[in-house]
Amino acid sequence: MNRQTDTEFTPKIVGFLCNWCTYAAADLAGTSRLKIPSTFSVIRVMCSSRIDHNLLLTTFFKGADGILVAGCHPGDCHYGEGNYYARRRFALLKKVMEVLDIDAERLQLSWISAAEGHRYAEVVGKFTEKIRELGPNPIKGSTRF
Amino acid sequence: MRAKVGVYICECGPNIAEKVDIDGIIAGLSEFDGFGETELVVKKYGFLCSKSGREFLEEEIRNLGLTHLVIGACSPRDHDSTFKGVCGRTDLNPYLYRIINIREHCSWVIDDVEKATEKAESYLRGGIARVLRQSELFENPIDVNPDVLVIGGGVAGMQAALSLAAEDRRVSIVERSDRLGGRALELSGLSSGTFRGSDIAAGQVESVMGNPYIDVFLNTGVSSVIGFLGNFVIELLSDEDGATTEISSGAIIAATGCAVYDPSLSGSYNYSDRDDVYNPLEISRMLSSEGGVALRSGGRPENIALVHCAGRDELNYCSGICCGVMMKTALLLKESIPGVDITEFYRDICVPPHEGRQLYESVLEAGVDLVRVESAGLSGTTVSFREKSGVEDQRSFDMVVTAPALIPSPDTADIALLLGIPLDDTGFFQEAHRMTDPSGTTTDGVFIAGTSQGPRGILDSMRFARASAGLILTRLIIGEKLVPEVAVSEILEAYCTGCGNCLEVCVYGAIYSDGSKGVSVVNEAICRGCGNCFGSCPSGALRTKHFTNTQLYREVDEALR
Ligand SMILES: Cc1cc2nc3c(=O)[nH]c(=O)nc-3n(C[C@H](O)[C@H](O)[C@H](O)COP(=O)(O)OP(=O)(O)OC[C@H]3O[C@@H](n4cnc5c(N)ncnc54)[C@H](O)[C@@H]3O)c2cc1C
Ligand code: SF4
Ligand code: SF4
Ligand code: FES
Repeated sequence: MNRQTDTEFTPKIVGFLCNWCTYAAADLAGTSRLKIPSTFSVIRVMCSSRIDHNLLLTTFFKGADGILVAGCHPGDCHYGEGNYYARRRFALLKKVMEVLDIDAERLQLSWISAAEGHRYAEVVGKFTEKIRELGPNPIKGSTRF
Repeated sequence: MRAKVGVYICECGPNIAEKVDIDGIIAGLSEFDGFGETELVVKKYGFLCSKSGREFLEEEIRNLGLTHLVIGACSPRDHDSTFKGVCGRTDLNPYLYRIINIREHCSWVIDDVEKATEKAESYLRGGIARVLRQSELFENPIDVNPDVLVIGGGVAGMQAALSLAAEDRRVSIVERSDRLGGRALELSGLSSGTFRGSDIAAGQVESVMGNPYIDVFLNTGVSSVIGFLGNFVIELLSDEDGATTEISSGAIIAATGCAVYDPSLSGSYNYSDRDDVYNPLEISRMLSSEGGVALRSGGRPENIALVHCAGRDELNYCSGICCGVMMKTALLLKESIPGVDITEFYRDICVPPHEGRQLYESVLEAGVDLVRVESAGLSGTTVSFREKSGVEDQRSFDMVVTAPALIPSPDTADIALLLGIPLDDTGFFQEAHRMTDPSGTTTDGVFIAGTSQGPRGILDSMRFARASAGLILTRLIIGEKLVPEVAVSEILEAYCTGCGNCLEVCVYGAIYSDGSKGVSVVNEAICRGCGNCFGSCPSGALRTKHFTNTQLYREVDEALR
């Protein structure tokens, strides 16, 4: 189920943003009228620690070309330590991704505080560029594990 | 029953309408056949958050018999509660509604109308798909106890109690020692000028003792704490007779103070009990005693060294108040012993902006010899030091005063364990959030104040105490009920193997193990719904009620369509 690569590739990117920091940064990017690629879709969760392996892998299998998980800076998680757990789970998942032949670069974890609207726009812009270079996600639509 | 979802798109004046083709979306959604049997009602409105907008929505919900509601508008951070309130005035459960942000995340960040429209439609499809997977949740307001327990009767604890009592709250102060006042009362010898810490503390003790709203338990500690915000049950243990007393409160303020570093523990301070080496508390005692400041041999010291920063390298932090204390000590010693020579060995001068500057100038004026060093050590009353310039030297004195760092008191860790709150990496109570919630803790209903949360002076200790009292006054209102978070997690008993992984990750201690059934259980009154436990469960037993995988997958599907 590979997509055509001769026409221009429009990446589909999902961003799981924590409610307290990065979602607020995304709001601030909006209030500041910064530009966000329309290929980026925000899904709000309460904390980055809610994001588990299943959700991420399934999102890749469903066809996301890239996934950004973003939450509060270390030490600033609204729930104390959630983002530390997220970081630990991430390190593990990156290894699983290699085995499954998903380029580990398709998954990015970033810390973006509520005040960092500009950084949010920058991170999303750069990540989108990176995914554009990587091309379509090769495992889209393959049977779920 | 066939679902009937009302989808209302807000124009937000030109904010959304100008960048998003709302009529196009209405047509698109009406044609979309991905929702099976579900009936969709899709309409637009000028300003949904306005009074008329809210009334319009209420009528629509009632007249059309909507089973679910999706609002395409601004950020949930702006108006989620507004539309939840709309549902609350109808029969529609507020958890069967969802606000979709097509302004901040769409019309304001995407210039191209076609693309912004496509994006808004995709977000709305995700919202509809998700809301169909949401379930009703019921808020369960509980009665709260507005009384407060304060642990520790120093300036912080007493200030908190007085601020609360001024608003008619009943407060119990539990104090482990045999008197109120804490450390500040020991500083009477060092108190000077218009701001006299010991006078402030003495005044507070008098007000507390005479206050009908405040009960004081002296020689008493806390032996157990159970419950949560609004409903704590605390067992007090008397050190005198071992008797226990049970009290209840809605909130707890921990203000157990700190301890003072013992410089002889540092490798570079070598002295014994026989040497004339003292800390400022001992100097304070001498200054307020009849005999004044004297050497162990009985005579008056002719020269005194004040050596800053004991413990700073070992502990790896600066207590921030010692420089001021040392300069004040220098002035008082000069005053009390005519003709005494004083040398202060300091590393940096760290003082509060205004008073600090004045203090520094007075010290210079009084003829104190200030020597800036990189490091300094003691061998008895001989100070060895290396100056900033690199020059090393040593000088002998009659007497030495050290500036020991403030460190966590031995009780801090025990109290933290009882209250279920974490310690920071220096061993003091850790605040919920350094910037946004410096008086709260990870346990809702437990607040901290004073030097138990880190080194600080008397005024700052009192400021934090007032902050904690203020938070309690706004959270626990007499006669009002409290609505605990209902979008929490639950454990499906049938799937749980009792492995206990989830217990380990929950920072709130909201999960306990039910030994008789061999499973873990979420205490919904404590759970905040962060979802951290979800990823730790190997058995699929955990469910974050308002952020289930199914709900999130539906959003993902529409984002990727
Ligand atoms: C040498 C020295 C000099 C100082 N000089 C100055 C100064 O010049 N200016 C200034 O502003 N600040 C100064 N300070 C700091 C000042 O003392 C503190 O900021 C202030 O006293 C802190 O008040 P607190 O209520 O937090 O703690 P404390 O005054 O220590 O009170 C804590 C109370 O809690 C009680 N307690 C402890 N554990 C328990 C328990 N488990 N159960 C029940 N009760 C318990 C203790 O007995 C104590 O009464 C100095 C401190 C020191 C050590
Ligand atoms: S959702 Fe968060 S607060 Fe609730 S039980 Fe799980 S980890 Fe604890
Ligand atoms: S992690 Fe899952 S299986 Fe293990 S105790 Fe918690 S809920 Fe039960
Ligand atoms: S709340 Fe933002 S990462 Fe936990």
